Amino acid sequence: MTEVLKARRSRVPWVTALAFTVAAAVGGLFMFILQDQGRARSLGLLGTKASLAGRDADWPTYLAFLAQITAVGGMLVFGLVSVWLFGREFSQHTAKDLLALPTARTTIVLAKFVVAGLCCLALTVQLVALGLAIGAVLGLSGWSAQTAISGLATVAATATMTVLLTTPVALAASAGRGHLPGVGVLMAAIFCAQVIAALGHGQYFPWSVPALFSGLAGPDQEPPGLVGVILVVLVGAAGMVVTALWWRNADQDR
Amino acid sequence: MAPVINARGLTKRYGAVTAVNDLSLQIRAGEIYALLGLNGAGKTTTIRMLLGMVRPTSGSVEVLGTAVRPGVHGVWSRVGYLVETPAAYPELTVRENLTVAARLRGVTGGRPVDEIIERLRLTEYADRRAGTVSLGNAQRLGLAKALLHRPELLVLDEPANGLDPAGVAEIRDLLHDMSHEHGVSIVLSSHILTEVARLATRIGVIHQGRLVRELDASDLAGHTSRWLSVSARDQAAAGQALSAAGFSPVRTDGGHLALADDRAIEEPDVVATLLVAAGCPPTRLVVEQDDLETFFLRVVES
Repeated sequence: MTEVLKARRSRVPWVTALAFTVAAAVGGLFMFILQDQGRARSLGLLGTKASLAGRDADWPTYLAFLAQITAVGGMLVFGLVSVWLFGREFSQHTAKDLLALPTARTTIVLAKFVVAGLCCLALTVQLVALGLAIGAVLGLSGWSAQTAISGLATVAATATMTVLLTTPVALAASAGRGHLPGVGVLMAAIFCAQVIAALGHGQYFPWSVPALFSGLAGPDQEPPGLVGVILVVLVGAAGMVVTALWWRNADQDR
Repeated sequence: MAPVINARGLTKRYGAVTAVNDLSLQIRAGEIYALLGLNGAGKTTTIRMLLGMVRPTSGSVEVLGTAVRPGVHGVWSRVGYLVETPAAYPELTVRENLTVAARLRGVTGGRPVDEIIERLRLTEYADRRAGTVSLGNAQRLGLAKALLHRPELLVLDEPANGLDPAGVAEIRDLLHDMSHEHGVSIVLSSHILTEVARLATRIGVIHQGRLVRELDASDLAGHTSRWLSVSARDQAAAGQALSAAGFSPVRTDGGHLALADDRAIEEPDVVATLLVAAGCPPTRLVVEQDDLETFFLRVVES
């Protein structure tokens, strides 16, 4: 409950919600442009960008675009939520008030991960709800129950994998005792994910897996197999366990 | 009765730097024990080791009969603490910060948050965001978090930091009351000699990471010097008048006259009257005391 109160009063959930609102709106704009080829041609560079989201303005394309936003934008946005939840205790020097309590430090860490997960779930639900509303307003074609279930399942699986991959960022923000080390690790992970995926080895680099799973690399790229998914789960679990152990055992001298 | 804190051979090294060196400490129930030391002497590291925040390189700590080590947390429900500068969640109000602290400490029943707000005179600021309150009120908020759950043992690192003189006196009275009326044991650190002298029942002098001396507060006077510092427009005449009256004035490096006689310290008005009568009225008359460095030199050398 204490973590929920702290999260509720912070600007971070609102800023991240705004980021995902803009992302959903941009996706809607691209669909609007793609609905009319003449409109796409007349808009030049913006039309070209829109065509990168897919060839057709229909529900499968739009839902795939939302999954890709979750993979790439989600890594940044979900990562920032984790950086903030853990790093703030050190940047604001409140960590020392969490160390000699009848509540175990590992419980506090677990509560933070739960709140991070809930924040990311709320952001994903918001993205999907906005996406469905925007798609309905635009009157996108190709709606069916199967399309919706398949598209939304891809978004949900992508979001789950992305959230799991932010646990090492929480560790970096804790061990680095502030926001900046967490942001640094987050940026490094995103950069490496892009490069390694471009080199064709993304299925073995956990931070590339959600984007590949969402279909960001296009139909020519091989989707990540079971090994990639297992690596994501292992990274997520290891990040949580090591963060909890660090809080429990490390010297807290600042 | 078992000590509330029993630290044996505490040493903390950071690479080549030894922050605390073979420090042993036994603090009895009901005591107000002050760790007195210069900045960087090792007070905060010692306090962090007592609270299990820093793991000693060697040695051990027991708090209220429980060995302090990672994963042991039940004992902290009986301990309140404030380490270094007070911190609070700036976007939460003073009341919300205390509510968070109460939940983390598992405090239930009654109105503990309202009571501590009243007790620490934070009512006026209770609904103000913690990030906007003054340093003095932030210190009160830190103390409120430490006292919220009515602990048996209080560990306070520089509790008077940031408080104005009235606030310092108020906190001193509060701690005195907690110790004497409620039997709370208090360990505090300070680098302010006069503050420690007024509050503590026992003093541990820590210097360069070592506990160099322990003394009862009542013995402190024997280790500190006081003198009456006198200035007049004609220092020579003033000195002669004081000598003629049986005092032993000594010229200080600053050009003042120092009178270490008990009579001069206890009755500076007599000295003033004497100087006025001698035709050299004082322009400055102050009872002065050793600063911490001088006290340390005396204690360490003795």
